[in-house]
Amino acid sequence: MKAIRFSLSLALLLALLPAAARAQEPQTQAPESQTSETPQTPATIDQKLEELDQKIRVLDRKIEIDKEAAAEKAKATAGVTADKSGFAIKSADGAYRLRIGGYAQLDSRFFLDEKQRSTVDTFTLRRVRPILEGTVAKFFDFRIMPDFGAGQTVLQDAYVEGRFSPAFRVRAGKFKPPVGLERLQSGTDILFVERSLPTNLVPNRDLGVQVAGDLAGGVASYQLGVFNGVVDGGIADADTNSEKDLAARLFFLPFIQGSGPLKNLGFGIAGTSGNQSGTATAPGLPSYRSPGQATVFAYRSDGTAPNTTIADGRHVRIVPQAYLYTGPFGLLAEYASSRQDVTRGTVSRELDHRSWQVAASWVISGGVPTYRSVDPKVVFDPAAHTWGAWEVKVRFSKLDIDPATFPLFANPASAIRSEKAVAAGLNWYLNRNVRLLFDYERTKYDGGFTTGDREDEKIFFSRFQVQF
Amino acid sequence: MKNCLALLLLVLASPASAQVKLLNVSYDPTRELYQEINGAFAKVWKVKSGQNVTVQQSHAGSGKQARSVIDGLEADVVTLALAYDVDAVAKAGLIDKNWQTRLPNNSTPYTSTIVFLVRKGNPKNIKDWDDLVRPGVSVITPNPKTSGGARWNYLGAWGWALKKYGSEAKAKDFVSRLYKNVPILDTGARGSTVTFVERGIGDVLVAWENEALLAVRELGAKGAFVVVAPSSSILAEPPVAVVDKVAAKHKTAAVAKAYLEYLYTPEGQEIAARHYYRPRLEAVAKKYANQFPQLTLFTIDQVFGGWTKAQKTHFDDGGVFDQIYGAGR
Repeated sequence: MKAIRFSLSLALLLALLPAAARAQEPQTQAPESQTSETPQTPATIDQKLEELDQKIRVLDRKIEIDKEAAAEKAKATAGVTADKSGFAIKSADGAYRLRIGGYAQLDSRFFLDEKQRSTVDTFTLRRVRPILEGTVAKFFDFRIMPDFGAGQTVLQDAYVEGRFSPAFRVRAGKFKPPVGLERLQSGTDILFVERSLPTNLVPNRDLGVQVAGDLAGGVASYQLGVFNGVVDGGIADADTNSEKDLAARLFFLPFIQGSGPLKNLGFGIAGTSGNQSGTATAPGLPSYRSPGQATVFAYRSDGTAPNTTIADGRHVRIVPQAYLYTGPFGLLAEYASSRQDVTRGTVSRELDHRSWQVAASWVISGGVPTYRSVDPKVVFDPAAHTWGAWEVKVRFSKLDIDPATFPLFANPASAIRSEKAVAAGLNWYLNRNVRLLFDYERTKYDGGFTTGDREDEKIFFSRFQVQF
Repeated sequence: MKNCLALLLLVLASPASAQVKLLNVSYDPTRELYQEINGAFAKVWKVKSGQNVTVQQSHAGSGKQARSVIDGLEADVVTLALAYDVDAVAKAGLIDKNWQTRLPNNSTPYTSTIVFLVRKGNPKNIKDWDDLVRPGVSVITPNPKTSGGARWNYLGAWGWALKKYGSEAKAKDFVSRLYKNVPILDTGARGSTVTFVERGIGDVLVAWENEALLAVRELGAKGAFVVVAPSSSILAEPPVAVVDKVAAKHKTAAVAKAYLEYLYTPEGQEIAARHYYRPRLEAVAKKYANQFPQLTLFTIDQVFGGWTKAQKTHFDDGGVFDQIYGAGR
């Protein structure tokens, strides 16, 4: 506007110059001309310039006031956003918010060199999960997430959480109990296509109530909840008995307030405790899967009391866990022990299954590893010759079934005694919304076949993941 | 588990109890006044109670601020430009209806009036209200619909004209001619000061006395402007009140009351005077008498029968202001 004001002033000045010039030539004008055409005086020009200047200043100011009013109005108007985090509608004061997001994962699983193959090479929609989440009345968040993957419909998350302070939140509904470190990572953030063996021993999702909070600026966090209680790796929408599980987790990030190499060092311990009891038709016991999602361990069960192993008493899990993300490197480790009282016929026993994993990653370019996936610093854009973030990874894991399980509670000809897996691969993060994973994992088994050991599982995975 | 949670809550609650926050929702030109008041009160309150008090400020046109509080802005106290705006908050049920009786001087700890700010040398020779209606004089004043100060300006002009010309009709004609000389209406008094002082628009700013004196002496405008006191003007009495419902919710009623009472103390009155508000306390008023121009002051009760009547007649939708300003555009 200053330029416009200057231009207009200049134009007016130029328009008035001939009149001013005439005023400077009194001797050449006829006397009658002098009386009939009063020449402009310098004072009049100044006045007109001043008037014009004021008019333009007023226009400027009106525009300024209109902009301020528009900005003020915008503050009081609900906002709609669409970005890498999804689509959201938010009230002006932020007290109400609705976000629509979701993710889909198309996987391929190709088994190599298998003679005793029990599974098939396949493409599969591993997860297809729309997410509806938001905030009501400022303090209450909700989340609803069904899963349409693998041709089934399962309600994964459905909960409400009251945020009363950073140190005190209450969540009720169906969600992940606070136990497994890798399980607590979102399915979009896990390092490999499939979670590792310890995840077999921790609950997947359960119904219950949990209090949680961050203390001392995030240095410590806690979760404590009461849940229906599910079998290892289980997800359920209803309880089969009146007993409940208590789940708790304490996790520490001692250097989170600093900026040193240990800033993202976290460690903690989690566990559950409860009583579970089953019946011949609903034994209340888990089966365990291989990385290729084949069932490799199951208790004896034929629907009759004498030949079915059932849960019959205390179930305790203990899961120490840790991670470190520093520079381009990431390290995640956890150990899980699941002790369950079981009964078959008249014989009861406490069985203690154990598992561990160590996973390491290295972001070789374009991003920074975190517990919540890699944050790509450059995005895929061929025109700009940027290719996103690349990460290589390796993982070792092991699962040991309690030897006392065999032969009474599980059939050694079909249920493995232990499995040991090694995985390696490459992740490509095109941006925050799209990533590709390529894994190779080899799992060696002890037992689990009629003539000895189950054949090694050698599998090549790939995943195309889109999230928003 | 119960014990753990209780301990946790105790730990969390302990540091919070030594900290207290207040939100003072005020009108446009009081920013500098309350910045100093807040710091001084915090020291006094710390000694008295051991608590660290932080007073947050919010400023805009007085009517707009009252609306914001009614709509949910959680003010612990309001310090607005006129009683009508506090009454509006009281009518919404947030403040006790007898709020004016809870503090001395009808809950108005300081006063002000309306004067003129003109450019150096007073080039348009403005001396009194009737100079504002001369052709070619550009007058800057905010919008009475949103600004408490603007309503005082309007009523100051009306009261002067009523006395001078002797009838409501002539006063209306006078004020109507005055607003024809107003090229722009800001939403608040500070906005009008910006328009006049910083944007260089207009020949005269009709302003709070404190705002005009501040502009002359401190807002980077030293020497560029002159305050002109008209022959008479209106006594502006900006009121203060604790917003009872919010203070109860925040558990800040005691500190909010003490905050407003502090305005009446010799120290609070000194601060008000230093910011060019006319103090109520006689000793302080005497000390600062020289900084305020002498002029005849009339009150809203004397000329307009109080704020409720003045608001209904002049500023409600379809009132006199709408008639004269709409017609003049």
